[in-house]
Amino acid sequence: MEYLYSVLILIGIYTILAASFNLIVGFGGLISIAHPIFFALAAYCSAILNLHLGVPISLAIVIGALFSTVMSFALSLPSLRISGDYLLIASIGFQLGFVEVIKNVEIAGAASGLTGIESLYTSEQRSLYFAITVLVVAAVVVWLVHRMTSGDYGRAIQAMRDDEEAFTSLGRNAMAVKITIFAVGSGLAGLAGALYAHHFQFLSPDQFGITQSALILTMVVVGGMGTTWGPVVGALLLVALPQAIAFLNLPAAIMAPLQGMIYTGLVLLFLYVRPGGLVTRRVRQ
Amino acid sequence: MFELPILLQILWTSVATSTYYVLFAIAFSLTLKVAQVWNFAQAAVMGVAFYGMFAAMRLWNWPAALGFVLGLVLAIALSMAVEVWGYRVLKRRRSSALLLFIFAIVVAEFIAYLLTLFFGTEPESLTKSMTADIYLAGGVAISSWDLGALAATIVTCAALAAYLRFTRQGQFLFAVADNAALAELYGISANRAILTAMVLSAALVAVGIYLYGTRASMIPNAPLDLMLLAVIATILGGIGSLAGAAGAAVFLSLLQSGSILFIPSQWQSSLIYFVLFVVILFFPTGFRLPAWPRRRR
Repeated sequence: MEYLYSVLILIGIYTILAASFNLIVGFGGLISIAHPIFFALAAYCSAILNLHLGVPISLAIVIGALFSTVMSFALSLPSLRISGDYLLIASIGFQLGFVEVIKNVEIAGAASGLTGIESLYTSEQRSLYFAITVLVVAAVVVWLVHRMTSGDYGRAIQAMRDDEEAFTSLGRNAMAVKITIFAVGSGLAGLAGALYAHHFQFLSPDQFGITQSALILTMVVVGGMGTTWGPVVGALLLVALPQAIAFLNLPAAIMAPLQGMIYTGLVLLFLYVRPGGLVTRRVRQ
Repeated sequence: MFELPILLQILWTSVATSTYYVLFAIAFSLTLKVAQVWNFAQAAVMGVAFYGMFAAMRLWNWPAALGFVLGLVLAIALSMAVEVWGYRVLKRRRSSALLLFIFAIVVAEFIAYLLTLFFGTEPESLTKSMTADIYLAGGVAISSWDLGALAATIVTCAALAAYLRFTRQGQFLFAVADNAALAELYGISANRAILTAMVLSAALVAVGIYLYGTRASMIPNAPLDLMLLAVIATILGGIGSLAGAAGAAVFLSLLQSGSILFIPSQWQSSLIYFVLFVVILFFPTGFRLPAWPRRRR
């Protein structure tokens, strides 16, 4: 059961990450892949606040998410004046630069990682409680993103994405919309990060590199970019399917790369078979 | 610390280390110029070339030359496969730049997992011993590896320049890079030109990875990090400029090694990413020297 709870927790965490990333890349059309660094910053912030300053875990989680929101301005304010491939490459620089910084900060455990993080729940059923918490938070995040991207503000986001010049010529502030969705998306990623830290109780800078970016991005694309349910389906599929071989009891040296191959192989397959994603956008007549 | 012999040693070591960075940067820049693709799958080509050479030279005890040829053949085969069955198909479907990026990065990851499955995560090098003969010149230590790497890089770059400048097929690459549709109207096959660029870039990668593997160790995940420096050099040198990418690779190597004089060594790799972020924000088209003014007759 413990294993099943772990898979459910991962599905919940990645649903939050994919849904919040979808807000930025799918709805906002901002091709940044630095999402994992906001996941990381909140995770480290929350863990350090609790470990070294004794801040209660639930408060530390909230502060962690807010910290990621604030840090998102460091990327969005200077870099949203560029777009497309350039934004993508700038975001890689931002993300990997911060990963390198974390590797050298002693209080964050440096390259060997941060251990001894307290768990949100301490009872014997902690995994069950945590799975329920994460899944509820994931559902709220999906609903929040849906609310934000529908209605008047949602139409404004989509208009900005589809034709920024026309949007600006109507007197709307495209930059403000971009910065807002970047901040909200990053804050939600931070929430996932802080939750992650207080369950898995170990953080290592290597967890937040470009491989993590590719994983979240593929969840969004395989699920269906710019749709509400796409990231949920993507997260469910790409976390659950590689677990199919977990019961074969293979040695770790074989299991880990084999799971990686299954996940990347699936992504390649979907890119050919369903490049538009499994969930497609509803087109209004 | 700022004594002349130390500065000269850092300069020499940076130039020697930059040899493989130069080749990786030109390979990346060439693909971007001709195929208009940020070919992150180059990391997969690097991995396959290295482990092909490693299997031949260290596991099967083949001579180094044969090992290199095997790595070269595997690199070219993978590069062609990525173009023909990957980029070409996705471009035909008018896929977005994001989808091409995902494809490239996922191919790189798939190959990294495959190599991990076969070769594990222990660092491996192409030679049993990485020691080289050392000569002293004016207080600067110069190794036989340095000289060999410089010679190999110069010969490879000269051969590439000659191919691009003096052969019809080489000139076709520039024609396609400038305007693929117009080039097609003149009977130049854009697909063939792009495939040629991919093959050339794989060959450069094979030479570069051989140099790298005879000096340092490799793990299956390492090529992605190695390749990021090529990406930075490509942007810094000005997108579309092969010579610019090569120059930028030398500059980045100098910056990385020279930074030890100013910042603690553990921050050296952060510096490169900081440079990437700053360059792309403030100099997205790279640095270009002003053109020589033409004399009027």
